[in-house]
Amino acid sequence: MSAVAPAASPTTATADSDIIIETRNLGKIYRDFWGRPKVQALESLDIEVRRGEIFGLLGPNGSGKSTTIKLIQGLLFPSSGRAFVFGKDARDVSKNERIGYLPEESYLYKFLNAEETLDFYGRLFDMPADVRKKRSEQLIQMVGLKGARRQQLREYSKGMTRRIGLAQALINEPDLLILDEPTSGLDPIGSREMKDLILRLRDEGKTILMCSHQLADVQDVCDRIAILHRGRLRELGRVNDLLKVREVTEVHAKGLSAETQAKISELIKSSGAELLSIDNPTTTMEELFLEIVRESEARPGMRTSASAQASK
Amino acid sequence: MRLESEQMWGYFEWLFQQFALLWGVGILAGLCLLGFIVCYVAATFLYGPVEGFYAVTRVIYELFARDLPSTTWRRTYAIARLAFQEAMRRKVLAVVAVFIVGLLFAGWFLDPNADYPARLYIESVLTGTSWMVLLLGLFLSCFSLPADIKNKTVQTIVTKPVRSTEIVLGRILGFSAVGTMLLAIMGVLSFFFVVRGVRHEHDVRAISADGKTGQTTLDANHTHTFEIGENGEGVTNEVKGHKHAVVDTGEKGEDGKPIYALEPPVGMLQAKVPVLASLRFTDREGNTGEGLNVGYESNYQKYIEGASLMSAIWTFDDVTESRFGKDGINLEYTLKAFRTFKGDIVTGVQGTVTLRNPNGKVESNRLRFIIKEFQVDQMSIPRELEGFVNSEPKKLDLYKDLVDENGKMEVIVRCEDRSQYLGMSQADLYIRKADRSFGWNMFKAYVGIWLQMVIIICFGVMYSTFLSGPVAMIATLTCLVFGFFGGIASEVASGKIPGGGPIESIIRMPTQTGAMTELDLGSDVLENVIKTIDYGIMSPLSVIGRVFPNFGSLNTSSFVAYGVDIFSSLLFRHITQAACYFVVTALIGYFFLKTRELAA
Repeated sequence: MSAVAPAASPTTATADSDIIIETRNLGKIYRDFWGRPKVQALESLDIEVRRGEIFGLLGPNGSGKSTTIKLIQGLLFPSSGRAFVFGKDARDVSKNERIGYLPEESYLYKFLNAEETLDFYGRLFDMPADVRKKRSEQLIQMVGLKGARRQQLREYSKGMTRRIGLAQALINEPDLLILDEPTSGLDPIGSREMKDLILRLRDEGKTILMCSHQLADVQDVCDRIAILHRGRLRELGRVNDLLKVREVTEVHAKGLSAETQAKISELIKSSGAELLSIDNPTTTMEELFLEIVRESEARPGMRTSASAQASK
Repeated sequence: MRLESEQMWGYFEWLFQQFALLWGVGILAGLCLLGFIVCYVAATFLYGPVEGFYAVTRVIYELFARDLPSTTWRRTYAIARLAFQEAMRRKVLAVVAVFIVGLLFAGWFLDPNADYPARLYIESVLTGTSWMVLLLGLFLSCFSLPADIKNKTVQTIVTKPVRSTEIVLGRILGFSAVGTMLLAIMGVLSFFFVVRGVRHEHDVRAISADGKTGQTTLDANHTHTFEIGENGEGVTNEVKGHKHAVVDTGEKGEDGKPIYALEPPVGMLQAKVPVLASLRFTDREGNTGEGLNVGYESNYQKYIEGASLMSAIWTFDDVTESRFGKDGINLEYTLKAFRTFKGDIVTGVQGTVTLRNPNGKVESNRLRFIIKEFQVDQMSIPRELEGFVNSEPKKLDLYKDLVDENGKMEVIVRCEDRSQYLGMSQADLYIRKADRSFGWNMFKAYVGIWLQMVIIICFGVMYSTFLSGPVAMIATLTCLVFGFFGGIASEVASGKIPGGGPIESIIRMPTQTGAMTELDLGSDVLENVIKTIDYGIMSPLSVIGRVFPNFGSLNTSSFVAYGVDIFSSLLFRHITQAACYFVVTALIGYFFLKTRELAA
């Protein structure tokens, strides 16, 4: 039976059209056959994805990333809270008109070929035949499957399957693209092309929500990220801000003597040396991620900036 | 084949006078109410009473306010096309290959000495086709959606602006299209198989010295005798349900006698059109009454006593020359004899047919016949015949004198042998109109099979929206079994079938108590308790039997096999029933699909 939530409305989303996705206190409990709670997959998630940004969902296996994406798309019903997309409830089918979805495994019909696949999904968007044909042609060119357009998908490699998966996600020229592990199964060149494409789509004004295990990918393309662990939000913010190591100062100087180098922090200005830059160094996404997971396991609860600083 | 009175109802008679519409609306309302209660209880369990109510009503609201108005043909067609392609890629055409192999070897198993070979051929192919497409529909419809959910391919569909209505409708249409294609191929193959199977030719083997009678060669395991009329044309006797016309070739033999040839068989593949009439009886005094009951079996047929004023009167409507032909009418009847003594067993029981104007003033002479039990007998009544006007003998014109101003005419059957009885029911006597095409009749039978297949697909798709493939298949198979045999439950519950319910039957078996005798356990209380429990068991089964489609009644194969044109009203009734099941199952499927988590 359908899930029920408080009669809240997406006030932010409706008031501010820049909010594309909004979750409020979103939670999901998986139940067994008898309705008894089995797993708390997601707990009180509050996030907002803004227009034109690439938002990354990170987390280890079982952290609630896929559950979040499925709740946002209405594939699952929330146990608590609500999700809104374009200001509409996540279960409102009409929101899908503006969404493109690339699932993790490109769950497509293996007995269709590339042309049939795109034609089929085009029909689902109620696109007229000429528009479908034109769009399919463009997308097949774009994802580089021109030579394999008549092959059944069962004969495709994993990389090719991801490409046709991406093409079907773009068939309707969506405003919001939801990508589940977009670089999964792609070789380094394919992965690079996918990331370039994601950035290009962002530059075209599309909003992208992606989740990935490939931390380097997330670091490369995401504007903001949310890190989930065991169904809880652990970190949320701009990638650059999150990767900044605030308690460390990095000084780049030129022509310093050996003596002044020893007393660098006190003497930089008084020594008359040329100060090039003073900044905080950044860590890598991988280090940040692992550190959050370790901390979360040691001390359950929402990580705060203070605790993050203290842990350094 | 025995025509049931309910098969003869006109479409609107069935809809209104026989309360089909009322039943349909009642069952629909009952299902809606039951569905709402079940859903509400489930929702209350999950979300509490108030929010549970909101959840259920929201889904109902969305169906009418959003999903139905937003359902588009293009998306539905896309899903249907996908289902079709999926079936094709699953090599569903192999079914046709199996069918062809079956036809190739069918000749080995069809008895060439059968009394009615055409009937055997027709029943074999129609039954074979029917079961093949029903099983095909079962497998296609039950496994597809669960497989999509399991493979997660459904996630790429439901994340598009696709309505649950479109998913359910598309699948039903897609699988129905597959079944239609296969059924069409099998139908054409079957038609030619039957036509070729019963086709045979005879030559004249011997002819009498006077050239008036003869015998044919032995072909297709039978031979005919024939008589030649004054005009040089003749007809053979009826063997294995057919005759041959004997024609003069115009050539002369060495002895100077004409050479005759036999034309292809007539009556094997036919679609006769019976025009039925209402039936009433008169009692021994000649007053309006009821026929006699000679035992349990006479629930269907009533009997009239010989050499009395008892008669059976059929009143035909719209008896016109344009309808039945200028030469007169052809009566056909299948009457039953009930003998209270052996009598003249060689001659058989005698009866008469009298045609009468409903005004009672004009009637024909009594036309005698000798009953032929267990087969259809014919009587050609000419346009001009002897009769009486106000008891005065006179030559009569069938259409002018025996039909009243309202187009009505009465056909009266009497039994002439004292202490013998003739049994009849409404459909046992009819006027035969010009035959329709056998091919068209076979097409109508295939429409009946198609309707059964569509219903099975509807149920399969409905169950597959909330059950796994194998479970959905078992559930649909249960529908099929209930559909074929559910009628027994209502007949037992209503007492139409003697012997009582399950507990009573269990007691009757070891105590060797016949079904026709009253249950006697020596205790009225015990007997009543058993009967009450039985009633409690059989009544719900009877209701379920009414709710599930009655596949037995949808099957019109026997009409074709027995050479009777399938009534258009019957076909339209079946189409209406199938449409109702389509709507109901599609709605239930929609609700289940709408309220389940497809990614769980």
